[in-house]
Amino acid sequence: MMTAIHELKGVRGIISDYKLQVVITAIFFAIWFAFYVLNPSAFTNPFTYTSLMSISPYTIIPAISLTLVIITGEIDLSFSSIMALGPLIMAMTWQAQGEASLLGVILGLLAGLGAGLFNGILITKLGIPSLIATIGTTFLWRGVVLVATQGFSIPLGQYRDSMVFSALVGWLGGIPVQFLWTIGLAIIFWLILNRHRFGAYIYYIGDNRVAAQMVGINVDRVLISVYAIHGLIAAFAGIINTLGMATFWPTLGDIYMLKSVSSVVIGGTPVTGGLGTIYGTFIGGLILEFIEMGVLTSGVTGFWIRLVHGVVIIVALAAQGILRRREIIRARVMRLITTQATQQSTS
Amino acid sequence: MSTKNIVEMRNIVKRFGSVVALRGVDFYVRENEVVGLVGDNGAGKSTLVKILFGIHAPDEGEIIIKGMKFKKLTPKLAYELGIVLIHQERTLCTNHPIWRNIFMGREITNKLGFLRIDDMKKIAYESLSQLELTRMPVETPVKYLSGGYQQGVQISRALVFEADLVILDEPTVALSLAETQRVLEYVNELKKKGKSAVFISHNIYHVYPVADRFVILDKGRVVAEFYKENLTPEDLTEIMISIARTGSVPEKYKELNLYRKSQLT
Repeated sequence: MMTAIHELKGVRGIISDYKLQVVITAIFFAIWFAFYVLNPSAFTNPFTYTSLMSISPYTIIPAISLTLVIITGEIDLSFSSIMALGPLIMAMTWQAQGEASLLGVILGLLAGLGAGLFNGILITKLGIPSLIATIGTTFLWRGVVLVATQGFSIPLGQYRDSMVFSALVGWLGGIPVQFLWTIGLAIIFWLILNRHRFGAYIYYIGDNRVAAQMVGINVDRVLISVYAIHGLIAAFAGIINTLGMATFWPTLGDIYMLKSVSSVVIGGTPVTGGLGTIYGTFIGGLILEFIEMGVLTSGVTGFWIRLVHGVVIIVALAAQGILRRREIIRARVMRLITTQATQQSTS
Repeated sequence: MSTKNIVEMRNIVKRFGSVVALRGVDFYVRENEVVGLVGDNGAGKSTLVKILFGIHAPDEGEIIIKGMKFKKLTPKLAYELGIVLIHQERTLCTNHPIWRNIFMGREITNKLGFLRIDDMKKIAYESLSQLELTRMPVETPVKYLSGGYQQGVQISRALVFEADLVILDEPTVALSLAETQRVLEYVNELKKKGKSAVFISHNIYHVYPVADRFVILDKGRVVAEFYKENLTPEDLTEIMISIARTGSVPEKYKELNLYRKSQLT
């Protein structure tokens, strides 16, 4: 028995949560290798990677803040519409002012923050399940955008030389600035989740909401904040997308709903909450964008993209399912060992 | 044991719709005293401690803690007043490591709210070693721990927060005999450190060794109260059975019953 107790101290490495992240990273490199074999010239060309860095932020940025929402055990679908609401407010402000002002960006971000707050209040104060509430607000904000624009796009090409453009979607040392923003946001959100009290509360709420309440955590306030942050970040993603295209499209965000949710899920954040990592989401988003690029450069039709996405999502989820099942068995064994250890110390 | 009350609940009434869960309960806990709160299912034991911990608000009555009167509490306020509730698995986040669970809701942080992880791990380790719970590293997720070990982590939380009153709601449910023994040792450890505790259990033999005084609830009322020195576990069992059958304490124990409220006589 003593050996078993001794061994327990040595399993710290196995206990650690990094296994899932290693698997996701391995999947990423497996896909990279597959595409490299299919089309070596495209995947040795730096342009492929700068393109990836230009377009992946639109999926990854909203996925980063969505990770927080999903860790609490909730969901938000409306970010796809908030991705249009934010830049709409920005574009309208710019049109009114006749210049690409910082004020427009700030108002756009505030619109996202407000829309997120509204979600949070619906879910916590009115007790509407998050799936239903955010389906409602998905339609609501998309409707607002469509009514306000009458379905027309707003061209913003005339502001291309402005400071705002270069700060958000310019180039820095050969790297698209939006990718640097993505990395910066990923680091900030990683710090919040792993090193800050607020992040700890997000995990506790997803893990055991009753326990969180019982230790005095204000669950409603944390959830409202998480939704507000997610709204703000979704608006930011919408703004850089709009600037990247130099045009505001009223349908902006629609395609990112499934892509961002998939990034989070591929990244190993279970929809049941309580677990999840920013790193996983980041790699998950890169995987999806990489597939898109890989399929297109392989010379097959774009119709293959969805199919490959589907296969990869299922493979990633299956791998996670196997890991989680093994984890459950391990936990059972460990509980048994600690029970015996307790009995031994008593006797 | 002092005679000073650490907590006093007066005339507590709690209704859930048309069901009256508590019908004017008076309850107190003294400094450095372990109270065994016993009674049949539905007697109101859990409701009473949930009111004491602020999960439910009473419809009538008042709660006096450290000389301050309250109409109701919240869990946060209860924590601040030095009350900790321990429930079978309920108050742990099992995916998270031991040290995080100990500091849950009361993290040590810098001014910006960033966690001081090393400090927390160190304090968690020190507190766990008082209960001889250092076989597993403090980084171990709680889901890897046995039921008794998990209860130890919760008691360790109470020690770190320097709680004055620890409420244990059925802490020995689903535990093996040896693990139950460990939990009882933890309660003794709390008492040695000058803390008070309320121990709820269906099992007289679990609560008997650790309690100083027994309060028996039946159908939302306190019906009897005894000091341990006056009773054997068998006496207590006999009283409980009599209360369940007839609603009253057997004649031969009536003299020992500390609880003589007008409505009972």
